[in-house]
Amino acid sequence: MATQTLTKPQQDQAFEKKIQQFRELFADAPEIGKKAIENALHELKSQASDPPPQVESAGRVGARLGKVSELTIIVPLAPGGAKRLRAFLRLLGGNLSQGADKVGTLHTMRFVFFDNDTRLLFATAYDGDWDTYIDDFVAKIPDYLDIIDSAWDGWPGIRHPGAKDYLAKHQITAEGWYVAYPDLTVAEILRLQRIGKAVDDFLDKVA
Amino acid sequence: MATQTATANRSKQDLTVEQKIQELRKLYADTPQFAKTALENTLKDLTSAASQPRSRMASAGRTGSRQGTVSELTVIAPFASGGAARLRALLQLRNGNFDDTDRVGTVHDMRFVFLDNDTKLLFATAYDGDWDVYIEDFVAKIPNEMDVLFSCWEGWPGIHSPEVKDWIAKHQVTAEGWYVANPNLSVAETRRLGKVGKAVEEFLDKVG
Repeated sequence: MATQTLTKPQQDQAFEKKIQQFRELFADAPEIGKKAIENALHELKSQASDPPPQVESAGRVGARLGKVSELTIIVPLAPGGAKRLRAFLRLLGGNLSQGADKVGTLHTMRFVFFDNDTRLLFATAYDGDWDTYIDDFVAKIPDYLDIIDSAWDGWPGIRHPGAKDYLAKHQITAEGWYVAYPDLTVAEILRLQRIGKAVDDFLDKVA
Repeated sequence: MATQTATANRSKQDLTVEQKIQELRKLYADTPQFAKTALENTLKDLTSAASQPRSRMASAGRTGSRQGTVSELTVIAPFASGGAARLRALLQLRNGNFDDTDRVGTVHDMRFVFLDNDTKLLFATAYDGDWDVYIEDFVAKIPNEMDVLFSCWEGWPGIHSPEVKDWIAKHQVTAEGWYVANPNLSVAETRRLGKVGKAVEEFLDKVG
């Protein structure tokens, strides 16, 4: 009762069952998919039974691996919204470092217009928990958020009590999420860059 | 002469930024008050950011955007019949484990997001370098894994098909805004720095 941990044979059994279900699902896949699954199954088996880094929830919504979380929002654009947002992005040459560097927890961020400029995909990789991240944006760059998000249909404004609900409602949690260095935050990477440089300088001096 | 040219270019650039700001003001004239206020509050910041960007967004090659060494790839395509169920089972089986992607060594992150009632898949990644090289790397290193994943898409021609690159390019949508916190760090360089950091700590422990 104290622990829910499965014994090794139980784990293996559960895993064999998954593989079996999986083969069944692929039975009506195109030939290339079926062939590839047999080729890859051996490796998948060893991967799935190794203790994997667990994908967890990033909090209210979204997935997290280690310290790095994903946020994926898809919103309908307000009338004129695509034009405004595009003009804003072009003014900055597509680079939002002025605002995003201030937040300091953002690894990457993209804006993608699709379905003939009627929808926008906003996707980021960030450090830590959903609520903290949104609060950080609100505290540090509220104006940037309002400029960008006023292109979104129904955006209530960042200082509106319904702002977080709006974001959560339009966010879709990724069902697969991979990060190459899940233990490194943006701040940690900056620190490592300084260490790397100091080590290079040091080695230059002793050489 | 050289200075004159530089000055002329500089004022031309300023003019362009000023014009862009005016255009932006016009476009924001019919937004809610909070958005107009937000624009006015940030104009000074925006002008300096537009005049001296830290790094410029460039093309990742055939399609997609790049900042420094880090590129983005965003594909949205319809699922094949049964594709959503297959991919979901596959992702659940992997349980967050992408050792094979680690092996490719140029992928910073990637996400799989099911859209519009499981009718479309969004696949979005941040990777190092040029589009063509990136795709070729996947083909060379993990072709089976690619086919297992992406045969969930309607019309996926197979990784060994001569049409696979055209297929990807056709369904890719280039990001019009792309931010990277450390645009000069590749995955390999970040991992190297991680090792250096660890070595330095051990070193300091020993001498400490």
